[in-house]
Amino acid sequence: MLIEINALRNELPALTGTAPAALSELLAGLGFPVDGVETSGASTVLEVDVTANRGDAQSHRGLARDLAAKLGADLSPVPVRPLAEGEPLVPILLEAGAAAPFYSTAVLDLGAEGSTPEQVRSFLAAMGSAAKGLPAVDASNELLHRYGHPTHAFDADLVQGGITVRWARDGETMVTLDGVERRFTSKDLLITDDSGPIGMAGLMGGDGTKVSAGTRRVLLESAWFEPRTIRAMAHRHGLHTDASLRFGRGADPGFAKVARDLLAQRLHDWAGARLQSAWSVGSLPAVTATVTLPWVLLDRVAGYKVEHAEAEAFLRRLGCSVAERGTGLAVRPPTWRHDLTIPDDLAEEVLRLKGYEAIPAALPPLDADPVPLAPDYLKRRKLASRLANLGFLQTVTLGFVDPNEAKEGHGPGDSQDLRTLCNPLGEDYSLMRGTLLRDLGRVARMNLERGAREVRLFEIAPVFEAHPGQPLRETWTLGLVWAGESGGEDPLVPPRKLGEPEGQSFLIGILHALGIGEAAIRGFKRWQLPPWEGGAKEPTGWQFELPLAEIPLETGRIIPRFTPFSRFPVVERDLSLLVDLGQGYGPLREAVAAALAATPLQDLRCVDVFRHKNLPQGRQAWLLRLRFQAADRTLTGEEVDGWMELALAAAKSLGCELRG
Amino acid sequence: MELSLLPPDVADAHRDFPAALAACSDLDALMRLKGAFVGREASHASRLMELLKAAPKEAKRELGAAINALKNQWEEALKARQAELEQARQRLAALANAWDPELPPPVPPQGALHPLTRLMDRMVDVFRPLGYHVEEGPEAETESHNFDGLNIPQDHPARGSADTFYLKGEEGLLLRTHTSPVQVRVLRRIGQRGPDGVSELERAGGIRFLAPGRVYRKDEIDPTHSPMFHQVEGMIVGKGIGMHHLKGTLAYAMKALFGPGAEVRFRPSYFPFVEPGAEMDVRCPLCGGSGCRVCKGSGWVELLGAGLLHPNILTMAGIDPEVWSGFAFGMGVERTAMMVSQTPDLRLFFENDQRFLRTMGGLD
Repeated sequence: MLIEINALRNELPALTGTAPAALSELLAGLGFPVDGVETSGASTVLEVDVTANRGDAQSHRGLARDLAAKLGADLSPVPVRPLAEGEPLVPILLEAGAAAPFYSTAVLDLGAEGSTPEQVRSFLAAMGSAAKGLPAVDASNELLHRYGHPTHAFDADLVQGGITVRWARDGETMVTLDGVERRFTSKDLLITDDSGPIGMAGLMGGDGTKVSAGTRRVLLESAWFEPRTIRAMAHRHGLHTDASLRFGRGADPGFAKVARDLLAQRLHDWAGARLQSAWSVGSLPAVTATVTLPWVLLDRVAGYKVEHAEAEAFLRRLGCSVAERGTGLAVRPPTWRHDLTIPDDLAEEVLRLKGYEAIPAALPPLDADPVPLAPDYLKRRKLASRLANLGFLQTVTLGFVDPNEAKEGHGPGDSQDLRTLCNPLGEDYSLMRGTLLRDLGRVARMNLERGAREVRLFEIAPVFEAHPGQPLRETWTLGLVWAGESGGEDPLVPPRKLGEPEGQSFLIGILHALGIGEAAIRGFKRWQLPPWEGGAKEPTGWQFELPLAEIPLETGRIIPRFTPFSRFPVVERDLSLLVDLGQGYGPLREAVAAALAATPLQDLRCVDVFRHKNLPQGRQAWLLRLRFQAADRTLTGEEVDGWMELALAAAKSLGCELRG
Repeated sequence: MELSLLPPDVADAHRDFPAALAACSDLDALMRLKGAFVGREASHASRLMELLKAAPKEAKRELGAAINALKNQWEEALKARQAELEQARQRLAALANAWDPELPPPVPPQGALHPLTRLMDRMVDVFRPLGYHVEEGPEAETESHNFDGLNIPQDHPARGSADTFYLKGEEGLLLRTHTSPVQVRVLRRIGQRGPDGVSELERAGGIRFLAPGRVYRKDEIDPTHSPMFHQVEGMIVGKGIGMHHLKGTLAYAMKALFGPGAEVRFRPSYFPFVEPGAEMDVRCPLCGGSGCRVCKGSGWVELLGAGLLHPNILTMAGIDPEVWSGFAFGMGVERTAMMVSQTPDLRLFFENDQRFLRTMGGLD
């Protein structure tokens, strides 16, 4: 909300001489931080952030009230000459019950054409709304910014018959002042005349009855509308106006008549208008009730002993009527403070006026048992840290994917529809991802396109899975990608293209380092990064995805139980085999290991794969390395020779041959 | 021996001998030279020996001595040169086995945690000594947890489809718009009475936790907005919790996060789920308070929202606000990260350019 400093000083003369910076601090201390300061000439305008609960503070007068209470200073009196109410000139019916309980009005003859005073024009300009040059419109506008109560003026000669405030009938329409045709439903509150709608209550008047340069008679409206009704209407119609903002957050019913009188007075002063009659219908709603503030609650909330007299004085200064009631205060808030409904609200008011800087700072005592960090949370942290230490960069991606590109990642029976957004930002952001690989692949490719030689990324985030009739499932998932070219950046490590089929072994090595077993790895989603148009011609890398639940957790003992290790020498033997190109390593390893089950075989691994045209067609050479070590003795060459014979026999059973 | 007495070719060779010796760059060449001068056969020395044989007897003694002297001279020179070349060979062999440690070493690749992760982790670490643990909840939430349980009115605009993403799968299922539904989940859990009539809250005597995580709002992507971002929520429930506890806790945390010199201000604010409400601002890191575009001229940047738990929040979870009280606070992670790092564009955090991740991330 915009506040012009001189207009604020008008309401609270004590602010004369308070510089904008000091005023900003004062306002922030009351809960109204200043988001911007703009000075042009003698006028300084503050952009003040007013929270949604403070409908009463949406004006110069409203903020001045809080500042006056804070400073203990007096507000200027509202310069109003109350109109004597008389006979209704037009019948006014209130048919919407509690949504529109009170309506005050007046009919005036406009005299000379009149004009809006220069001072008001510049005030309106500072409020960001140019004067229209029509006194009835400009005065209403000025009053809204100055006092916060929205009013409206109809051209009385265009109003047909009487006025009824009622719920709309479905399908009724009206063109509002902004020239837009609005269609109503029974939830809309309307001001109508005998011809139909002439205004949307609390939002905007109708175009058909608007005041113009030719208007000779005006009918004023200063009413009170129920906030929820106005908020809902504004929301439904996407029509958020200065008026709807104030009615929607709760206007002061006590000010309705005053606003009408001020408006009539301005028309008299600016345009020589003469009152025909002023009258009101309905009754003012009771928007506040007495609240008890126990001293014990105030002290607990404040954290210090608040002086009773001071607390009482603050509440009185806010306009509350206050009575001592034994262990606390009985407080009746003023008509503009409908937000004060529970004792805690009153405690806040006391603290707010005293200033939050008066609150002491203390740490709450540790009176409950501490709770350790949850294993799943710790696991994610440790895993992320581990991967970062293994050379991977953590990514964070938004999690929305394009359903047309996201066919991967469905679990069996997953229903993509059920994880689709009703109201996405766009179709390409309409699906909650079922895999991280899509986003990781995209990020990897972007980095390669931007000239990265090697890409190593990981992300840890939930992925979604939906099954009809079941709650949406969110699974914390790790995604890994390694792409581009690795090594070759120093004299010792040769370069490696990661997109080759063997590139996946690099990532599998990382999975091993995380303690994941081979069987589990076979089940994970993997994806060779495809080439792309205008970019790499060959696949550029590999990615893996796995649920975090598959990663072993380091829990249990801080240090595991001791297991003895052998102090006798290790015997290492290599077995060079000719193997069919189609031979799987797993079965071969298992066959050899099974044949050596009764031996002290410690380790068996393939340490070299050799493929060459000089080898027999359809064959490759694998070098197996076997390590034997007994727990209780030194092994003899003869017995190891025997075991190597067993190993060879097992390999031969799978069609392998000893390579000469 | 006088050169004039030598056969002309030997004399020439002898004259060129020092140059030929110097020209031998390796032992092989030297051996060849040695063979040519002092070899047993067809060498200059053997030629001279034949000359000696043919010489008159009375001249033999003198001639022999002269030839020997010449031969010795050659041999000495060859030997010296040989030693020289052997030394050179050894030196090269030693160099060939040496390695200049200034050559580029294979550096283990440098990874990094994402800067947002680091900030959230740091928050947790800062609050651990105060006894806070971590609670989490799903990203797809119910209206009950995300709005109702937080005292957010039925007609609050944040519930609208213009602000909140709703999922097709289930009526009212939405992407949480803040981490506060975790509060509601925890309050309902600890407020529930077991078969013995005692609630978890009563048994434990209180609770304090952080809830870091991803949240979603329907904002178009631009330099300061993203439809997904992160928050860290904190909450405490105990007995006799007041604003002084909130202030003390936040003052500690802000100093721990931003350094002892961080200037903060604690001021009133409003959120439906707290009463009294508060916000904490920090002195604008860019201008230091004199006013700039980051702080919009005010000198302060909003850091977090907070307040004492609204009695309705406790009541709705079955917790008696006459007995229990607490506070909650919530901080925007991106906002804080941008402010601390003066990163100009929020999108950089989600673009994941490795150059950004490497420089802004790190290991903890």
